[in-house]
Amino acid sequence: MTTRYLILEDGTSYKGKAFGAEATTTGEIIVNSNMLGYQEVITNQIYHNQIIVFTQPSIGNTGINHKSFEAIVTNSKGVVVKEYSNISTNRLGNLNLDLFLKQHNIPGIAGIDTRELTRRLNRKQTMKASIVDIDDEHAFDQLHATVLTNQQVNQVSTKAPFPNTGDGYNIVLIDFGLKYGILRKLADLDCNVIVMPFDTSSQEIFDLDPDGVVLSTGPGSPRDLPDSVLQMIRDVQKEIPMFAMGLGHELFALANDANVYKLDGEHHGSNHPIRQIITNQIIYASQSEGYAVDPKSIIHDQLLITYVDLVNGTVQGIRHRDYPAFSVQFSPDGGPGPQDSADLFEEFLENVSSQRR
Amino acid sequence: MSKVVVDKMAMQRALTRITYEIIEKNKGVNNLVLVGIKTRGIYLAKRIANRLQKLENKEVPVVGIDVTKYRDDIQHTDNEPAVLSDEAISLKDKNIILVDDVLFTGRTINAALSAIAELGRPNNIRLAVLVDRGHRELPIRADFVGKNIPTSKQEIINVQVDEIDDQDSVEIDEK
Repeated sequence: MTTRYLILEDGTSYKGKAFGAEATTTGEIIVNSNMLGYQEVITNQIYHNQIIVFTQPSIGNTGINHKSFEAIVTNSKGVVVKEYSNISTNRLGNLNLDLFLKQHNIPGIAGIDTRELTRRLNRKQTMKASIVDIDDEHAFDQLHATVLTNQQVNQVSTKAPFPNTGDGYNIVLIDFGLKYGILRKLADLDCNVIVMPFDTSSQEIFDLDPDGVVLSTGPGSPRDLPDSVLQMIRDVQKEIPMFAMGLGHELFALANDANVYKLDGEHHGSNHPIRQIITNQIIYASQSEGYAVDPKSIIHDQLLITYVDLVNGTVQGIRHRDYPAFSVQFSPDGGPGPQDSADLFEEFLENVSSQRR
Repeated sequence: MSKVVVDKMAMQRALTRITYEIIEKNKGVNNLVLVGIKTRGIYLAKRIANRLQKLENKEVPVVGIDVTKYRDDIQHTDNEPAVLSDEAISLKDKNIILVDDVLFTGRTINAALSAIAELGRPNNIRLAVLVDRGHRELPIRADFVGKNIPTSKQEIINVQVDEIDDQDSVEIDEK
């Protein structure tokens, strides 16, 4: 394998071996500590513009299979691993990771001391990084000069509505960078889902006469979205039960006058205990978090805090006091990760059925 | 043959949702008193109060009510127990949530309303039930329902709570 370099904004350079596409790439570098499910992670739209470092030391050993896609189009910018493993042991695996990354023009780099790299990146503002052929001054200049888009949602959200039919409740799903796990869970519960673009207006939603509205996860900062999205949330939450996740949760918080801040060091993994306040129950969930709701900014007359991360203290869930509308920061669909919180989809549909009585 | 229709997780979710709905309707927990009807209603009321306390950091009083002597379909005995489990709690001008496990004919609720009426005039009374099984004989409906379970009159709904039955479940039995 050819030698390539991973270079960071702070001037560090790591030498490694190329796999995947041969392209030069630049993105924000983040660490994912999930032990399983690299395919779900790489295909999650939340990683648009990001280079993913896996702490799990051997990546590639289960190939790529048709059941683990979180999106058809893959938008992550690069993959950094300790060891690239090409021994596919998945019975569904026809494709290996190397080939998959080549097909999607995503470069990978192996042989990196990912533990050292993780320590460097941990609890610091997110840095830009590049995977390049030569780590000379020019490459660093290029890296510093690169401006990443803040229009990620615009790029990943569906341009036209599409249905995912079912016999049950009529659910409108707003796509901010839809993770297919959400569609799978709603399909498991027989919902008739209509996926709509991120800039759908409240009137367009009301015209579809949904029983419930779901706001999906997605990439980037909630502040990069137009205010019309927040107005849509304020209008809809009064009338229709709402459930929001990830970026949707951050938007739901902003729409209800809470603040959202960028975390020092994004958290991507499933190893943080999360406490459900109302029952004191501890759950684990798949978390992919670059932002968090500021608990001090929450107006108690408007929102209740429902879940808290016990490691970094971040707010993990909120609920509106006056309407059946709630949201969580984590991904209850798992994909990859624990299913402890999967019954939030049932909770949402129980809100729906309670309103329809 | 008994069939589990609500398991432990679903029962917890139902009580959690009822708690949130109480906060929505009552605009918080101010002036609230939970009145649990005899055995299982009391435990359910305590669980809801516990959840309210965790969310709002305020203690919500819970009182048990025995409606036996107000029932129109039961022969009365002489030495009936006190109506409220804690007579120090006043229901006058309070926002009352009446809590019971199963809503069926509505006669229990009717009896509870008569009992409360004799204890003073509350500000309002709302009804929370874990299960609504239909077959009402009186014009009564619940404001908060854990689960609607359509049943035939031949079936028996059996609610079990961990506090006295060592498990949380709702089962349907044939008579």
